[in-house]
Amino acid sequence: MPEIKNFVTTLEERQPYIALKQKVKGETLLACDNTSIAGAMSQRACVYSGARVALNPVTDAVHLVHGPIGCASYTWDIRGSRSSGKETYRTSFSTDMKGIDVVFGGEKKLSRAIDELVELYKPPVVFVYSTCIVGIIGDDLEAVCKAASEKNGIPVISVKSEGFKGTKSDGYKAACEALKVLIGTKEGNIRSPYRINLIGEFNVAGDVWLVKPLFEEMRIQVVTSLTGDSTAQSISECHTAQLNLVQCTGSMTTLAKWMKEEYGIPFRKVSYFGIEDLSTALRETAEFFGSEEMNQKAEEIIARETAKIMPDIRRIRSRLEGKRAAIYMGGAAKALTLIKGFRELGMEVVIIGTQTGKKDDYLQISYEVKDGTVIVDDANPLELAELLVKQKADLMVAGVKERFLAYKTGVAFCDFNHDRVVEFEGFEGFLNFAREMDSSINSPVWKAAKSNIKDSVDNQAIKAEKVPGTHIENVQEDVVIIGGMEA
Amino acid sequence: MTERNYTTVNPCVMCQPMGSVMAFKGIESSMVLMHGSQGCSTYMRLHLSHHFREPVDIASTSLSERGAVYGGSENLKKGLRNVMLRYHPKVIGVTTTCLAETIGDDVGRILTEFREEDKNADGVHIISVSTPSYEDDHTTGFIKAVDAIVRHFTEYGMGNDIFNNKLNVVLGENIAPEDTRELKRMLEATIGPRSFIFMPDTSETFDAPMTGKVEKIFPGGTPLSEIAYMKNCAASIGLGITSDNRAVDHLETKYKVPAKRVPMPIGLEYSDRIMSVLSEIAGCEIPETYRKERGRLIDAMVDVHKYLYGTRVAIYGDPEMVLGMLSLSLENGMYPVLVAPSCKTPAFRKHAQERIDAMNLDCDVKIFEGLDFDAFNDVVREAEPEILIGNSNGKYISQQTGVPLIRVGFPIHDRVGAQRILMMGYRGAMNMLDRITNTILETKDIELEKKWLQNKNTDLQESCCGLKSAHMQPH
Repeated sequence: MPEIKNFVTTLEERQPYIALKQKVKGETLLACDNTSIAGAMSQRACVYSGARVALNPVTDAVHLVHGPIGCASYTWDIRGSRSSGKETYRTSFSTDMKGIDVVFGGEKKLSRAIDELVELYKPPVVFVYSTCIVGIIGDDLEAVCKAASEKNGIPVISVKSEGFKGTKSDGYKAACEALKVLIGTKEGNIRSPYRINLIGEFNVAGDVWLVKPLFEEMRIQVVTSLTGDSTAQSISECHTAQLNLVQCTGSMTTLAKWMKEEYGIPFRKVSYFGIEDLSTALRETAEFFGSEEMNQKAEEIIARETAKIMPDIRRIRSRLEGKRAAIYMGGAAKALTLIKGFRELGMEVVIIGTQTGKKDDYLQISYEVKDGTVIVDDANPLELAELLVKQKADLMVAGVKERFLAYKTGVAFCDFNHDRVVEFEGFEGFLNFAREMDSSINSPVWKAAKSNIKDSVDNQAIKAEKVPGTHIENVQEDVVIIGGMEA
Repeated sequence: MTERNYTTVNPCVMCQPMGSVMAFKGIESSMVLMHGSQGCSTYMRLHLSHHFREPVDIASTSLSERGAVYGGSENLKKGLRNVMLRYHPKVIGVTTTCLAETIGDDVGRILTEFREEDKNADGVHIISVSTPSYEDDHTTGFIKAVDAIVRHFTEYGMGNDIFNNKLNVVLGENIAPEDTRELKRMLEATIGPRSFIFMPDTSETFDAPMTGKVEKIFPGGTPLSEIAYMKNCAASIGLGITSDNRAVDHLETKYKVPAKRVPMPIGLEYSDRIMSVLSEIAGCEIPETYRKERGRLIDAMVDVHKYLYGTRVAIYGDPEMVLGMLSLSLENGMYPVLVAPSCKTPAFRKHAQERIDAMNLDCDVKIFEGLDFDAFNDVVREAEPEILIGNSNGKYISQQTGVPLIRVGFPIHDRVGAQRILMMGYRGAMNMLDRITNTILETKDIELEKKWLQNKNTDLQESCCGLKSAHMQPH
């Protein structure tokens, strides 16, 4: 997009990361996939955070953070993913490294910490996350974990997530590496001739419980969902699947690729959000297994479930038609599927951005959005605030940090990340999403947010004027206000 | 208690930089640049945003592998330049993280270099605080940063040396914006408006009114010009007594500003203490409004004494707040069976014991400093409190044990209004008494309802049986 430069005021160095989609030949080239600029106030977190969000939903694992207390403190039960079994993952474990550990090394403490936790919690697996200073003082996590595995007879897996060694994406990779250690270590429990894994599905607010039954109705066995509501057992069996469906492609495509090489399991990129994407996911899966019966079942489910939610969707859609949405997501997969979801609700996307999108992602995004949409990588609050105003957005979809930014500009907000408590996936989930759009955008508070005392009181005064017998025409303005208030 | 020696499970504390951020957010036109990897600033922004429900901007030097190997000087300087360009702050607080400390960056030297290299830096106060996350905790980070700010503005030739008749009021622990507003009202009523310097003041910065436009930096906070004059003040009050208040101590030793230390005014006794200190300093009577407020508080205390007497309560959270809530519980006849400040401080135990000993309690009081929540969970089960008072991280224990939780302090992530919780002064005490009593009443209502329902059920069952047998009789 060389035509319009400096669409928003920001650092010169940040300009290549912001583009406006226009009717010009050629592709929208956006700078991306770099480390954040110092002092630019990135909304991203670190390598550790990437590993933590991707792995943490493994429900029965002990997730031990090897580092000072902060890293464990700020990530205690913030994932929002639900479990149908154990809740160990919601407990925060830390070696709480002190100055003395930094000086003399933390290996001994870590080794004892693992023993202690294994004895107390008897987990089937321990993930040990490394943090910034571990990378500096050079604790050999791999060796400690190996020894601990042998001693305790369970897999103790090191997650190489030193905060400064790359970006959040590198954390996803570290999580995938850790999962690889578990995969294929147990015999599978085969219950159906058709078996899949839902990869890159984190069961936030219980999403997976609205998706899994659809596949099961098609007589497909869902071996595991990675990593939402997964267990050490189900992960170690997941090589028995014949197909991997990858939803959060940014975090887990590496794992799907590896499983293809290692076990010959093909993968498809899918989404369970929105009627269009969800239907495609069901159809593609049926098609993959090549069973006519399954095809019919998929069509039957789609027809039945769509019919169930459409009356409500249509009604809500009429209240949302033409509203303008801003999307700022961690990964590109969610951003892309949201574009379609908004289309299904009659809304248009005017801003779209991600923290960790890659070149291909942004190309695809630029095909999907209409001219005049702003595309942005690794945005910061000041850019987002200015964009929200310039692009006249009615609503923003993002995570907690962006919520109050949107509110302060008088823009409605929807949390699509860890904080939501209602499901957005599946057919019912999409209806939940539509309802949340309605309650976010059409709440009367936005009118109040744009008002001031004088306006609202004057309006009442005008009403009062119409009442016969009130004598306010000739009094001073401030008196009118008081009269208005009394009226 | 389960014995654990090498692990912390469900931590009660946060790391030092968090406290530092809270202090800097309470002074005029200030931004924080966190020297470390990108995640630290983001996690703290999340944590603060969740609690205060406000946008919270904290910049990061985004240290990468390169920075870790060759030193973070380049990133730190670039970070400073970019923050100046985008936010135009008057103050930049540079607070370190474990990464910056471990790679051994000499922040002082880098800042001197930066000031020489960049002329734009002349108009900006750059204040650095060393806050490695592997030492101490968020409460010390707060004290350190407040001290660094006061030292910066008093030592670097700013302001004059002319005596002013003002009072310094320096917090020893972060408090809610609503409590800050209440304290300022108390100060205005006793020693008069514009007669005190309140430091740090987050009443506007962490609880900014909606204006329809996004401010790069929210207005409010302690004015910089005033901080420079803190050395010329007539006296200082350090709010909080469990730890050293370094800023107040510094002002006393170096500039001979006499210092008084008082506990956070939570409950009757501690509120009385600050009011009498203030009236003494101001040389005036306690204002009529506050005498009436005090009267209303005592009225409230009498109203609820029967509900509260003997109620077993467990209090946890940051030490000054816990001490205050302990005092409030004691003076209302509650039994504080469990008292667990989040971190170990030099004087908590002494002051807590003093208050406990002054009462004729018919229960054991257990004090544990620096427990994690897992250990706290164990002692809660032993102590069997009827009420928990503390931050929202106690919700798991509350859910598991069924003991109701009254949310106060930081963080509160699962309820609204954390920034508006009023705990201090007479009005704060009334608010807390209302909340505690109503929680007890609600619990009792449910229990009674259950009990009566049980009785009804047995009655019903009996009468049903009677009917049934009558019906079953053969014709």
